[in-house]
Amino acid sequence: MRIKVIVSIFFIVAILMAFIPYQIKSLIPSNWPKPVYDFTKNEPSIAKINLGRVLFYDPILSQNNTISCASCHLQYTAFTHIDHALSHGINDKIGTRNSPTLINLAWNKSFMWDGAVNHLDMQALAPIAHPAEMGSSIDAVVTTIQQDIYYKALCFNAYQDSILTGERILKALSSFELTFISADAKYDSVMRNQAVFTAQEANGYLLFKQYCASCHTEPLFTNGLFENNGLREDSLLTDKGRMRITNDSTDLHKFKVPTLRNIEYSYPYMHDGRFKKLGEVLTHYTSGIDYYPNLSAPLNKPIILNSNEKVDMIAFLLTLSDRHFLFNKNYGYIRKDNSSMLQSKD
Amino acid sequence: MRQLIINILLLVNCIIAWSNNPTDISFLPTFNQEKLQLNHYYKHNENDSIQITNLKFYISNIAIYRHHKLIFKESNSYHLIDYTNNTNPTIFIANTFIKKNSSISFDIGIDSITNVSGAMGGDLDPTKGMYWSWQSGYINFKLEGNTNLCPLNNHFFEYHIGGYIAPNSSIQHVDLSGHLNTHNTIEMKLDELCNHINFASQNNIMSPSVSAVDMSKLIKHSFSLK
Repeated sequence: MRIKVIVSIFFIVAILMAFIPYQIKSLIPSNWPKPVYDFTKNEPSIAKINLGRVLFYDPILSQNNTISCASCHLQYTAFTHIDHALSHGINDKIGTRNSPTLINLAWNKSFMWDGAVNHLDMQALAPIAHPAEMGSSIDAVVTTIQQDIYYKALCFNAYQDSILTGERILKALSSFELTFISADAKYDSVMRNQAVFTAQEANGYLLFKQYCASCHTEPLFTNGLFENNGLREDSLLTDKGRMRITNDSTDLHKFKVPTLRNIEYSYPYMHDGRFKKLGEVLTHYTSGIDYYPNLSAPLNKPIILNSNEKVDMIAFLLTLSDRHFLFNKNYGYIRKDNSSMLQSKD
Repeated sequence: MRQLIINILLLVNCIIAWSNNPTDISFLPTFNQEKLQLNHYYKHNENDSIQITNLKFYISNIAIYRHHKLIFKESNSYHLIDYTNNTNPTIFIANTFIKKNSSISFDIGIDSITNVSGAMGGDLDPTKGMYWSWQSGYINFKLEGNTNLCPLNNHFFEYHIGGYIAPNSSIQHVDLSGHLNTHNTIEMKLDELCNHINFASQNNIMSPSVSAVDMSKLIKHSFSLK
């Protein structure tokens, strides 16, 4: 009798755990804007995040089983491809752009450097299908992983049904990526009055607010818009930026303003990774601007920084490094046959 | 007495069965008055031939009107009409007691709100081959084939018509009036559509553009209630 009770309690707990929603809200600072992502259409749960996490690290998404999302988006470098100006995909093919960081994606209004993708759920379709990235297709991915007993189990835990579909795979990937919330850098501690800037950092912050904050708006350090920041077009890549999507000549060489959070770790910089160091980035803004007709308006006024001020500015930018984010164990690789994940359903 | 009760029950049953009998709408593509067969060669103009290898499109937002008054609107109305899987593409909708002076309206393509709402399932699942990967957006209409009129690419033509943002929005609204029955056929005259396409100058459309919008208008006018 007692055994029966224990067993049934165990089952009830296991079933309840499958439905525990993942409290993304608890990770978001109270003074932040409302997320853009509509969580009501994709209720987060630990089981969905687990499925997304396994997929994120699985090269099964690529044509020849060599490239996973994590190949170009490594956690320890703020989910970008460190040391590679341009990212490489299957068969060592080189793409045309620097892989962006994956930080605070719930607030992104659009995805990719040119905003080609309008929703986080749909973003994964682009690298999966791109011939120089994963070279596969979402239907090939569904067909392959549908034959995998572990994925069927993970899918069952996440959706109470073991049939994998494009929608379920994409929403699980979103669920995992939406947990990439970076809000615990020194900057955030200072804003919460739990720490203070050094004199250098404080001066850098003032300069930042004067010259950079109109596009790299706090607290996300991006306004989510597209701007021409005066970079000369690379003659080999001939990347037209946002204009590729809109066919509007006023969008020529406009790229999405990236977040500056964890910038210390996300080098190289710019859409084509042309700058290796933050100093080079500052030099571009102070003396390297090409004055295009559609140049971002604030850049028409020259930015003048002496060498001390540049050092202060960099000191401030380093306060945006969030080590809790970069080394958060919940973002790391996990085996799909991980027994605790499959049994306890959480 | 018992016999009477059974008879009444049978009658009620019949009425229920009759009222539950769904209305159906079939989409029938034709070429030169024949039912379209994929990969079959058709005569085009005087001296040319044409082969259709792929035809897929979305029908959404189905509504039925009687005397211009809305009597039925399908909820969650998104249907992928796919001729490549060899089934007769038929949409079933609830019985609406359709009579004369009715009209049916629908959209060819997917509305802009759905286009920006993230991953969807069923006919809207991106595995259906009707969603662009390099850029967000559904492909509303896909027509592929070959004709000797296309000079390049082994005479192959590919029209992937999509786009949900003005001015390149290619969703089209169709209103067809006439006599609606329990079984209805909406004909799509592909020969008429092909007569308006300049295959020599444009053998592919793969992104939202002015040409895609122009093509979507041609597509709209190829539908009629049979």
